[in-house]
Amino acid sequence: MSKSKIEKITTAVTLDRSRQPKSGKPKDVSFPGFFETTTDSGISVVVIEDRKLPLVTSRFIFKTGGYADDQWGKKYEGLASLTTELLTKGTESRSATVIADEVDYLGASLTSGSDYDAIYISTYSLKKYFDSVFAIAADVILNPAFPESELNRIKEQRINSLLSMSDDGDYISDNIFRSEVYKGSPYSLQSEGSKTSVPNITTDLAREFYTRYFRPDNLIIAMVGDISPEEAMLKINTELNFSNTQKTLYPELKSPEKISGNRVYLYDKKGAVQSSIKVGHLGIKRNNPDYIKLNVLNTLLGGNFSSRINKNLREDKGYTYGSRSSFNCQRFCGDFSVSTEVKNEVTADTIKEIIKEIKMLRKEEAGKNELKSVKNYLTGIFPLQLETPNAVAQKVLSLKLNDLPSDYFNKFIKEINDVTPEQILEAADKYLHPDDMIISAAGNVKEIKDMMKQFGELSVVEEQ
Amino acid sequence: MRKQSSALKIKTNVPSIEHKEYTLSNGLRIILSKTGDIPMIAVNTTFHVGSKDEDNNKTGMAHLLEHLMFEGSPNIPHGKFDDILNRNGGDSNAYTSWDSTGYYIVLPSNKLETALWLDSDRLTGFGVSEESLRIQKHVIFEEKLLYVDNSPYGTVEEESSVRLFSNSGYKNPVIGNMDHVMNTSLEEVRKFYEKHYIPGNAVISVVGDIDYDRTLKMIEKYYGGINGGSIPVRRDHSDKYLTSEVREKIKDNVHLEGKFIFYRLPEMGTKEFYAMSILNGILSDGDSSRFYKELEYNNELVNEFDTNLYGMECSSLFGISAIILQGKSAALTEEKIDNVLEDIKEGNISDHEIEKIKNKVETYFSAKKQSIISLAEKLSYLKTFYNNTDKINFEILDYLSVSKSDIVQTAVKYLDRNKRLVLDYIPVKNNN
Repeated sequence: MSKSKIEKITTAVTLDRSRQPKSGKPKDVSFPGFFETTTDSGISVVVIEDRKLPLVTSRFIFKTGGYADDQWGKKYEGLASLTTELLTKGTESRSATVIADEVDYLGASLTSGSDYDAIYISTYSLKKYFDSVFAIAADVILNPAFPESELNRIKEQRINSLLSMSDDGDYISDNIFRSEVYKGSPYSLQSEGSKTSVPNITTDLAREFYTRYFRPDNLIIAMVGDISPEEAMLKINTELNFSNTQKTLYPELKSPEKISGNRVYLYDKKGAVQSSIKVGHLGIKRNNPDYIKLNVLNTLLGGNFSSRINKNLREDKGYTYGSRSSFNCQRFCGDFSVSTEVKNEVTADTIKEIIKEIKMLRKEEAGKNELKSVKNYLTGIFPLQLETPNAVAQKVLSLKLNDLPSDYFNKFIKEINDVTPEQILEAADKYLHPDDMIISAAGNVKEIKDMMKQFGELSVVEEQ
Repeated sequence: MRKQSSALKIKTNVPSIEHKEYTLSNGLRIILSKTGDIPMIAVNTTFHVGSKDEDNNKTGMAHLLEHLMFEGSPNIPHGKFDDILNRNGGDSNAYTSWDSTGYYIVLPSNKLETALWLDSDRLTGFGVSEESLRIQKHVIFEEKLLYVDNSPYGTVEEESSVRLFSNSGYKNPVIGNMDHVMNTSLEEVRKFYEKHYIPGNAVISVVGDIDYDRTLKMIEKYYGGINGGSIPVRRDHSDKYLTSEVREKIKDNVHLEGKFIFYRLPEMGTKEFYAMSILNGILSDGDSSRFYKELEYNNELVNEFDTNLYGMECSSLFGISAIILQGKSAALTEEKIDNVLEDIKEGNISDHEIEKIKNKVETYFSAKKQSIISLAEKLSYLKTFYNNTDKINFEILDYLSVSKSDIVQTAVKYLDRNKRLVLDYIPVKNNN
């Protein structure tokens, strides 16, 4: 390390601050290579070797999440989620306390979680402790005990968490939005469970879920960091032997009902000083070929700070601290939404502006400069998403989970750059439906109800 | 001696970060670090001014100014800052704390000069309009509603700081008093800007795919000609510790009762601060921690708990939060928390427990610094507050050298019931 005091200052005479400096030659960005294979038992394995840091992450993804709760019915929504939480709460040979003590002592972590599409278990540790941590993870995956006492504890906690989350306007607004947009499909269920469903869940049901879906052909594993493909395969082949190797049978998926006309749903959050708004409709599944076009479209509309909606609502009007649009793309279906939080009196004006921006996108071609800026932004910041081996793994796993080809990200930058204004207009026409939307708002109903009637049929939703 | 050698042994496993340091004659301090695998750079500029440096009658200035620094500068017109960045494939953000205000830019590395051009223009003069000020006041008003007034337990920061501090600027919330913010004039903002946004009060860190010599020359080109000004004199931030317990009940729009306990400790970087960090881990890190077992697992009293050690320039705060399960007792929860702390003070800490947290420290230090944005922020922070960027590689030793007696002494002296604040958040009875 050197420290030096610089005495001589370049004079500012030659410096023209009014012009943007010239750029240097851009460097190529390439998606890192990775190892992939399938084991004899059907496990799909990815290894991303990176020896710079003495750390290893292992990720296990079972390709069935909350959407599968539907087979048991709404009465049992939350089953996948509670089953997942139970995994680390005891195996045939380790109690919950033993698991926690062993993992923590190694300075490691063992986490589990789920969403609609999948169940995720991961370990993270220094290389020198990897063998020990992997052994615990394998035990948790292969031999969970589903103790009754642990389930009872988790159920009480979950019911309280649901209560606590309902203090948050955005959470309520999201929930109403989801249950209406996905009505009739498994994605309309509440994957974290509800206060009526959680008490119904039993260890027998958890075991049933486990038996159906914890099978090798339903599993993707990624090993990341200070580990070679050979080491990784040896670990998996010797320590992850499933006794149940039957083929996984997937449930048939029901499609969401079609929405026609705008519908408004309000939730009365007593004492609210802002409305939490979410507006939108069905979108696309992750492997829809128009995904990249819609990514560009969304960035332009509300995907970043300088997007049209944020500029309009925050920078021009000062209505909100922030607003955003997104295509939430899941494995089997998705949604499009715009969300924001604004004070009561501008709730309707905000929705008007959102509808206006969506309609504008369907009517007029985006300017060449504006589109160029969005494309440069998306391709420019892309390397930030590849900064760590774990970030790369995240991307690779999303390909595996969503049945996308392995070279998908090698073409990503080119495909973004190829998007034209005409394609954006076409995509807007095809995928945005400003006259058939769900408009949900959690806030002070007394103050906002009248102004919200203008948008369509209005219902006030009771506490769920 | 034994401790030191084991720490040094660990050190060899934790990869170190290369960096270089310079100072321009106008006082701007520069940290450069060539690191990472991606062709990008991050620029962090940190100004040594936060909410604690504000006038008690004019709070929220540092944060307001942070918002306004994206609204135009002498050569970058209103609305252009992010447009230019996005068009060049970059992004930006900023943050304000009690002690500092930080800005960052990320861009592909061939656009480094554009990053410095944009960032340095903020120091060449004040270019904010009345209209931008008017709009950003409203944005901040909504920010306060979102994160404070409309957020469950959102008022804890302001309710606690005003009771924990009486002299220093730490008694004011970072976002400020909304009456102050809404009544601030452009002239007042300009004066605040002119006083604090000078090269001698700033550190710039450039991290990522850089060439040291070229980067330094570019920084000289864009920042070298800016007048140094005189470094602002800081007001006194000393504060007496509480001498008897302060308790307050606060009504909130929530379903579950919340308990928030605060203790003050010496500032960040002190021996006590590192001892408390290790204790913090013992208390709440992971499902084997003391509080998890005592509050959540064995006694099933809380839905959630957390502990945090906030290291600040002139003080530290240790906060315990517990969200109580419905039908369970907040008083009993407090009793259990106190029992755990008393047990620690009596010296009942096992070597195993300390070793566990040190293992976690080792994992943490091995993993961090992977992101250029956070590395740039950390380097600016270490220079601003410690004048010692070598801490990026050696701070792990401050944690690993903590002994059991350091922990016990710190707990006995500072986790004293007579010096603490207890806030009880009580659910408002609503119709629904």
